[in-house]
Amino acid sequence: MSVTLQLLQGFEETLKVFALTLVFSIPLGLLVCFGSMSRIKPLRWLIRGFIWVIRGTPLMLQLMVIFYGPGLMFHMRALPRFTAVIVAFSINYACYFAEIYRGGIESISQGQWEAGQVLGLSRSQTFFRVVLLQVVKRILPPMSNEIITLVKDTALARIIAVYEVIWAGESFIKSGLIWPLFYTGAFYLVFNGLLTILFSTAEKKLNYFRG
Amino acid sequence: MALLQVNGLQKQFDKAQVLRGVSFTLEQGQVLAIIGSSGSGKTTLLRCLNFLETPDSGEILVGGKPASRQQFGLVFQNFNLFPQYTALENVALAPKLLKIGNKSDIQTRAENLLGQVGLADKLDAYPWQLSGGQQQRVAIARALAMQPEILCFDEPTSALDPELTDEVLRVIRGLKQKNHTMIVVTHEMAFAKCVADVVIYMADGVIEEMGTPEEVFDNPKSEKTRAFLTRRFDAE
Ligand SMILES: Nc1ncnc2c1ncn2[C@@H]1O[C@H](COP(=O)(O)OP(=O)(O)OP(=O)(O)O)[C@@H](O)[C@H]1O
Ligand SMILES: [Mg+2]
Repeated sequence: MSVTLQLLQGFEETLKVFALTLVFSIPLGLLVCFGSMSRIKPLRWLIRGFIWVIRGTPLMLQLMVIFYGPGLMFHMRALPRFTAVIVAFSINYACYFAEIYRGGIESISQGQWEAGQVLGLSRSQTFFRVVLLQVVKRILPPMSNEIITLVKDTALARIIAVYEVIWAGESFIKSGLIWPLFYTGAFYLVFNGLLTILFSTAEKKLNYFRG
Repeated sequence: MALLQVNGLQKQFDKAQVLRGVSFTLEQGQVLAIIGSSGSGKTTLLRCLNFLETPDSGEILVGGKPASRQQFGLVFQNFNLFPQYTALENVALAPKLLKIGNKSDIQTRAENLLGQVGLADKLDAYPWQLSGGQQQRVAIARALAMQPEILCFDEPTSALDPELTDEVLRVIRGLKQKNHTMIVVTHEMAFAKCVADVVIYMADGVIEEMGTPEEVFDNPKSEKTRAFLTRRFDAE
């Protein structure tokens, strides 16, 4: 019984990392995406350089830098462990999402923007009322890939001692129990299964139009 | 005074001078057909009129004053309908967002416009459920919904199968009867001949010849025009 309780505690932590990362990284990704497509060249290159660094280094390393960096480099107080995890994950995933958004936005034909423009719509009206839903439809498959990866990446949180689910399962090995580890595997499978169903439902919902 | 005056329009892309001083006038209620070979600058001219390009020099006056975007409407060669909206929503979207009248008026007007282009039974169809000719007619209704003073068409039928061009041309002819001022870039010589009040033949970024259909088609003054027309009518 105490095994189940302890595992549940791990699940909860994992779920929190997952949900909070999504809540922050999905909108943050849109900002990063706009930055990477900005007409202001220095801003565009700055943001693209940033994306390059974040996508080009391991999330595990970023996690450590964000947790230990402020203290070691600037003698500041470290962020609470959980906060550091959310910050690192949100920044990392925002950059991946930004690139997916950018691909989606750039795949929409110029004609859609021009049609909005000649009707007198502003750029933001055209973006939110015309382009966005078409982008969403196109990026659902790569987004679902990325989000499923996030579910599994949450395990990295333990590197700075955030008690996520695999750690919870592992702690029973000392007492000779392997099945809690299998439990954690089942947890991931069920979780990702639900996400897969959710995404395919969303894709079907958007099947009413083509383009 | 002419409704539209275009004076000395010039436009350059990179090194290519695409418009080299285009000037003409158009009266209220007239239909102008623009013909000319590929690359002569017809699309660029329409795009300048519709504020999709900024001319390097020259002026565009409507009613004697510098033109504004809302005075022009544009129907694209490949329709550019919004795929996630029904025909009715496509027509009503811009008036709704720009708050041109109250909601129920916009709705009624959109329905009437679709009726006017012969699509009263397709209000709730999505673009992918419509033929090319039907899509282009929705695009015409959508442009009309913003009540432009001058409606421009860029080869409105060249993306269509031959059997669908007539239904679009018939709509344009109907608009002429309702006294709409229109500029139509077209490769349909027969259509230009019978619907246009004025024909412009463009070559290399200038107006090579301009006149009534009879003048341009039957008695072209310029050698270039004559050569173009011969090639055209041979092709048809
Ligand atoms: N955005 C652009 N950048 C660079 N060159 C351009 C651009 N738009 C048009 N051009 C060039 O300008 C010239 C005129 O193009 P335009 O589309 O106006 O011709 P057109 O008369 O409409 O031809 P068509 O009958 O093929 O539609 C072409 O040589 C084209 O390559
Ligand atoms: Mg053209």
